[in-house]
Amino acid sequence: MNRSLLWRGVLILIVVGILAWSAYPLDEKLKLGLDLRGGMHLVLHVLADDALRAETETDMDRTLRLLRDEAEVTGATARRTGNTRFEVLGVPEERDDAVAEVAEDFLANWAWSRQDARLVFDMRDAYESDTRLQAVAQARQTIDNRVNAYGVAEPVITTDADKERIVVQLPGVDDPERVKDLIQSTAFLEFRLVEWPEPGAGGAATREEVLARYGGSVPPSVELLPEEIRDPQTNDVVGERYWAVQATSVITGRDLKNARPGLGDFQQPVVNFTLSPEGGDRFGQATGENIGRGLAIILDGKVVSAPRINGRIDDQGMIEGSFTQQEVQDLVTTLRSGALPAGIEYLEERTVGPSLGQDSIRQGLRAGLIGGALVVLTMLVVYKGSGINAVVALALNVVLVFGALAYFGATLTLPGIAGIILTVGMAVDANVLVFERIREELHKGRTVKSAIANGFDKARSSIFDANVTTLIAALFLFQFGTGPIRGFAVTLSVGILSSIFTALFVSRWIFDLVTSRRGRVERLSI
Amino acid sequence: MEFLQHTDIDFMKYRRYWVGISTVLSVVSILAVFVHGKLNVGVDFAGGTQLTLQFRERPEVDELRGVLGAAGLDDAQIQRFGEEGSNEVLIRTPVAAESATANQERILAALDARFPGEGAGLDLNRAGAGAVAGLLVQLDPEGVVAGGGDTAVAYYEGVAEAILDARQEQGIFTSWEEVGAVEGVGPETLAALRQSARLGELALLGAENVGPQVGRELRTKGILAVVLSLIGMLIYIWIRFELRFGIGAVVASFHDVLVVLGLYALMDFEFNLTTVAAFLTLIGYSVNDTVVIFDRVRENLRLTRREPVVEVINRSLNQTLSRTVLTSGTTLLATGALLAFGGDVLRGFAFVLTVGIVVGTYSSLYVAGPFVILWEEVFGKRRAAAAKGATKAA
Repeated sequence: MNRSLLWRGVLILIVVGILAWSAYPLDEKLKLGLDLRGGMHLVLHVLADDALRAETETDMDRTLRLLRDEAEVTGATARRTGNTRFEVLGVPEERDDAVAEVAEDFLANWAWSRQDARLVFDMRDAYESDTRLQAVAQARQTIDNRVNAYGVAEPVITTDADKERIVVQLPGVDDPERVKDLIQSTAFLEFRLVEWPEPGAGGAATREEVLARYGGSVPPSVELLPEEIRDPQTNDVVGERYWAVQATSVITGRDLKNARPGLGDFQQPVVNFTLSPEGGDRFGQATGENIGRGLAIILDGKVVSAPRINGRIDDQGMIEGSFTQQEVQDLVTTLRSGALPAGIEYLEERTVGPSLGQDSIRQGLRAGLIGGALVVLTMLVVYKGSGINAVVALALNVVLVFGALAYFGATLTLPGIAGIILTVGMAVDANVLVFERIREELHKGRTVKSAIANGFDKARSSIFDANVTTLIAALFLFQFGTGPIRGFAVTLSVGILSSIFTALFVSRWIFDLVTSRRGRVERLSI
Repeated sequence: MEFLQHTDIDFMKYRRYWVGISTVLSVVSILAVFVHGKLNVGVDFAGGTQLTLQFRERPEVDELRGVLGAAGLDDAQIQRFGEEGSNEVLIRTPVAAESATANQERILAALDARFPGEGAGLDLNRAGAGAVAGLLVQLDPEGVVAGGGDTAVAYYEGVAEAILDARQEQGIFTSWEEVGAVEGVGPETLAALRQSARLGELALLGAENVGPQVGRELRTKGILAVVLSLIGMLIYIWIRFELRFGIGAVVASFHDVLVVLGLYALMDFEFNLTTVAAFLTLIGYSVNDTVVIFDRVRENLRLTRREPVVEVINRSLNQTLSRTVLTSGTTLLATGALLAFGGDVLRGFAFVLTVGIVVGTYSSLYVAGPFVILWEEVFGKRRAAAAKGATKAA
């Protein structure tokens, strides 16, 4: 054996060895896509307009305060007239200079102008886009926290800030609806004092009953909120009752320091919470002054429960309601993760159960084995001894593809399996091109060795050009595709590259090895 | 075994007819797909909801259609899915006006009302492990809770996960006995579940909800990917060969796409993301097939400069014929196996490639070459005429 042959052999061994080792054992090393292992793929749209509205309202209130305190304008009123615009009424024109000063010092994010009796404030573009970006980033962080608290292994969360979208991929989720609710829930928690009826009375039966109490309509300082009545056995909603509560809250979810699941007096699931020092002060004062009154616990605009205040509560308390254990867990998760800065809508949701994925793997494997066997048989029949060469190259090819997928951490998807099967059929193409050329050279009367050398030389440009075009197609596929399709593009590309390697390098080496034994080879089985 | 080694077929003799036939086929495909709207566009591109459901007993498609129709989902498409005896169906509806996921809830509510299964309460064929664990803790059939809170939760979580694993393995529990057969589910637990839970008639194996916005974007991206990859091929072949070869190869593979698309529509397969992947692969394969032939044409053109292009192409086609047929054959074996054994999800994909390889091989032999000659005849003559005009003027 000459040196070149030896070195090439060693190189092949190293490449195949590394890739084979990185892919062994296959079921542990290969990352399966959601379509094969089961899981959820969610595309969410962050309704960033919500965040803009909230920001506008906050700054509107601030502006009124500033005008009162800094510009000595009293009796001004304001209203929001758009997502990024509000108007102030009742500011006399002669105060405009003072307004300008206040705006310059404290309201840099707003452009203002006078239109007759109104002052119109418009959010500056830079601040608007900043607020939008912030909303998406914060929503992502919140979702991240919730998903991690739920306990999904290897979640993948990506953001498309331009489109205000978040893509969430969760492998192996067994309760898609629960996860969807968990992610989407705003979980806005508030504590408000009850105006009517007294605690213990169990709320009013109808909306009308409450309205009648206030003479037809509730005053601005009071709000009418529903509470769902649940069947204690099945936990289904069986009716509603109503409470008149104060319009302003004592504390909100933002004042929570921590929340954790616990058990109540009757072993029912509850949420225990502790408050931040500042929230604790406010809560302590409110509860201390209102002993005997009802305190409504409100979640996303619905009363969860309205217990009586039995004593001053400073920094910790308990949220009771007709919760299941799972609801308590999810509530704790959302309270801890913080509120979403804006609402969320689902643009796309795909869920694959594991049984479907297993079917796909089984069918793909069967198709691959049958297809592979047929290709092997064909090569052996057509090229006899040299067919073995092609079959070895093909086998190595499959090892290399799986090895490369594992080595680069690529994900195998169902279309990816199809790509591998397709590769099996196409990989022999390079061998076919070479073998046909060798046959032609032999027909011209060349010796075996020079026929092999010429065959490889002449086939090289065909192999190169033909595979580059397929690679171009794969490149656009990758650009175009989402998860499964990308998986296909990757396996196809890897398959093409490895088939070039096996056909031009490994197969050549085998030919050289076989023909190196004797000085002059008379016949080649091809 | 050697075959097709020294053939002398005049591929180019009837080239006008072949080009004519191919043009007619392409036009018919375009009309069928784009004008007549025959293509069965899936939720990926049209938006909508597609659910894969497994039933405990074989459902009757007409009955399901009736149930969904009564719920206001008249335009639902229902078809059997999976292997025979798996009792799986695929339900597809257009996108709901309110939200991307609204129709899923509507379909499931309608089916649940019609097929409630046995018992009442939590549906073991739909619930997640957390909900099952919560129910078990509440029921406490083994009397563990009395012994100490935290261990009870852990204990029942284990039981719930075992139940869920078993369900996911088999898709659906068809009877309470199957629930009882799960490891960790003792007779007391089973009795308690029968008492306070439900065994629904159907399980949700997979769901796809695509909003109209996403569907539109995917459509644009898909068309763009096909067009750009064709342009990419054209440029590559232009650089490596000559423009006329690039035109020939791209026209041939565009022809393949159109013809296969027509057949695809005719077979009423669903057109989805995977189908686009198949078509892009087909473009790659078809150009690949043509490029090998052109490579030989280029080689032969260098050897003999005087021979007419028609002759050179014919000879090159004959020289590469055995390779063309053999490679198509092995690839066909692989995609054919995929078509026959790869399952429902990949059927459309395998169809595109299987048929595409046959059409692609034909077009490499009978369409790509003629277009090179056609290009030559049209633009070559003009160039010759221009040259003549130039000499006359001088």
